Amino acid sequence: MAIAVFFVAAAIAVAGAIGVVTFRQPIRSVLSLVVVMIGLSILFLLLSAQFLFVAQIIVYAGAVMVLFLFVIALLGPAREIARSRLRFQTWLSALFVLALLGLIWAMLQGIQYRTPDKADLSIFGTVQSIGIGLFTTYLYPFELTSILLLVAAIGAIYLSRKKVDDL
Amino acid sequence: MSGLSIGGSQLDTSWFLVLSAILFTIGTVGVLIRRNPLVILICIELMLNAVNLTLIAFSRQLLNLEGQLFALMSITVAAAEAVVGLAILVDIFRVRDVEDIDELSELKG
Repeated sequence: MAIAVFFVAAAIAVAGAIGVVTFRQPIRSVLSLVVVMIGLSILFLLLSAQFLFVAQIIVYAGAVMVLFLFVIALLGPAREIARSRLRFQTWLSALFVLALLGLIWAMLQGIQYRTPDKADLSIFGTVQSIGIGLFTTYLYPFELTSILLLVAAIGAIYLSRKKVDDL
Repeated sequence: MSGLSIGGSQLDTSWFLVLSAILFTIGTVGVLIRRNPLVILICIELMLNAVNLTLIAFSRQLLNLEGQLFALMSITVAAAEAVVGLAILVDIFRVRDVEDIDELSELKG
């Protein structure tokens, strides 16, 4: 059963990813990315990461993708022209990407798996265990992300404000 | 020692890693061949998601929660990156229309 779920979710994710790259209209790329997010979130659930499953759906498929859709609606859905200024760019990219895939593949062959830590699978990845980790051992990085989000929000407001004062 | 017993069936961690590698590579293709700056940002999000899958797969393999916490941080950073990147794009588009990212070459980088 879990194997079937894995392959269906993986097929959804890969199909969505190919859609992201091949669709000519940006709005279709964004909607394909939502499909990828949903496929990946199913895999997160399979890997007993319940909290990240919910976070993926709400934060990514919900908030970030809606932000992308808003910006595309704001800027107008321009169709992309398939020409390129650099010659052979597609072939060079294909070569580079094949090399990258080969490199990652070679790296995956060399992985040596350590024996797992002792952990209770019934509480692994629940909201409670994530919260305990986040607010005890990793409190400092957690607080730093709040500063990061604040800086990002201020930066976005600064960049997109109306420039009434032409100094 | 890479088998994962999930719901009575036997999966393997390497399946998740291979899927993640494929998604990351597709994202790289998108960044390299697409011309629209918005689509390039979308492809970067795809690559970040592929890496998150690796982190969570290893977290489950080692039964160590730190991978999931790191993936959570990475989701936060990706959200911040999307916000700032889109704000910069909106600012550029206000001055002129950019159909091709190669048009933005004033800095001669």
